[in-house]
Amino acid sequence: MRRYLRLYAAFVRFAIQRSLQFRLDFFFRVGMDVIWNLHYLVFYGVLTLESPTIGGWNADQLRLFLGSLFVLDGAQMTLFANNHWAFPGLVNKGDLDYHLVRPISPLFMVSLRDFAVNSFLNLVIAVGILVWAFARYPEPIPAASIAVYLALLLAGLVLHHALHLLALLPVFWMQGGSGLRDVFFIVDAANGRPVRVFKGWAYRFFTVVLPLGVIVNFPVRVLFEGPGLEIVVHVLLATLAGVAVLLFVWRLGLRAYGSASS
Amino acid sequence: MTARLFLRVAATEAKKRLSYRVDFWLQACVVFLVEAMLAWFVWQAVFVESGRDRIAGLDFHGAVLYQVTAILTTKLVRGSEFSDQVSDDIYTGGYSRYLLYPVPYFGFKYAAQLGAQTPNALQFVVFGTLAPIVISSATIAVTPAGVLMAVPSLLVANVLYYVMSLALQGVAFWADNVWSLMVAQRLLSAVLGGAMFPLAILPDGARRVFDALPFRYLFADPIETLLGRRDAGAWAIGLAIAGGWIVVFAFLGHVVFRRGRRAYAGVGI
Repeated sequence: MRRYLRLYAAFVRFAIQRSLQFRLDFFFRVGMDVIWNLHYLVFYGVLTLESPTIGGWNADQLRLFLGSLFVLDGAQMTLFANNHWAFPGLVNKGDLDYHLVRPISPLFMVSLRDFAVNSFLNLVIAVGILVWAFARYPEPIPAASIAVYLALLLAGLVLHHALHLLALLPVFWMQGGSGLRDVFFIVDAANGRPVRVFKGWAYRFFTVVLPLGVIVNFPVRVLFEGPGLEIVVHVLLATLAGVAVLLFVWRLGLRAYGSASS
Repeated sequence: MTARLFLRVAATEAKKRLSYRVDFWLQACVVFLVEAMLAWFVWQAVFVESGRDRIAGLDFHGAVLYQVTAILTTKLVRGSEFSDQVSDDIYTGGYSRYLLYPVPYFGFKYAAQLGAQTPNALQFVVFGTLAPIVISSATIAVTPAGVLMAVPSLLVANVLYYVMSLALQGVAFWADNVWSLMVAQRLLSAVLGGAMFPLAILPDGARRVFDALPFRYLFADPIETLLGRRDAGAWAIGLAIAGGWIVVFAFLGHVVFRRGRRAYAGVGI
């Protein structure tokens, strides 16, 4: 474990050095992420002009939901996004070979090799928005609820990473392309909707089959409904299942991987 | 650039884009259905929870139809913005070729970009024909006249998006990555251009600000024209203003490229 932490610290050091070389790009990406946050705030701001609640949440609750969504997005952009983007290329060009021969987990390498320093700044901005949303929330939220919320949001981050990588793994069999990346980008929008807007089969789909509606929605529910066992168990089971399926498909994929230029 | 060369470049690009038909239609259908489903559920929540039967002059099915048309329109207007980019030519040194070839660079790239739209145009026709049949609304009237008027609106919107992105892509002469600028353009234009919600939903003050910006001519105008929510006078004025914005952004792109060429070393990455 200490070896992995040392290695990760080195990744972060390299990333900081790299980002200092391309300062203009650094600010472009920060700007892009801020606009991404704003486009969600405007979207829900406009909808709440017409309806007092969306998916059962009022404007104050939606602000907390969006703040949480931005923090999760900032974290996944910082830790995983560049790696997700690069992964299909590693398989298509055979560059995955270099990770397979190293004496560390190749899944660790393809997941965390590139730390996005510019997105880390966005994470800081997102935390600021979340703190603002907490400050504007009119009712007191118990500390225990906030603690459980934070733990579940962390589990949601792991689940999101697992689902995203799972969408890329078909590249092992597709002989080129980028797996189901484009489809995932679209379906992932469900993560940015209050899950209770979905009814019937759609609700079950986004909370059980493809649990994108669990990632941010369920931790946020803890803030309003308290840390109920049902919510906690649901998030943890979804996360464990997501990671288990990822590991299973990853192993199948490595067996199918035909090395250079497969 | 001759019309013949323009068409040949567009046709070659179209042929290239249609080579992976099964993969394309599979992804297109899944992506379209998911996007339409998300719009359906969000608008359903807004209508049910507000208890209203009209929002921005649209009933529930009208709002969904607006959103579905927006999904198809954005694809057609934006095109293949993240592939075969002008900025790639600058990074790889490929731009040097066009400094020597006897063809205008922007015209050549636009022809290729237009050809690359063929799959999106097919999607637009197929899903756009089915949508008003499946989702019928008393507040929307798709008529042959509206469809005919929408064709030039869509073409103008496509040119406008293209010239807007040229100025941004020209930043590649100085920066090592302009990908995030393209994403920013996509997000801003979606919010300010009426692709995420009908602009009629906005309060008067905000709508006046949005009307003064070029973004509504990218999505809101073509969508409203297609759905029969704009009369001929408003349509013609919209086209003229969009034309004015095209001139402004084309000039800006020209200035950026003229300055950029001074910084361009032609070596690529």
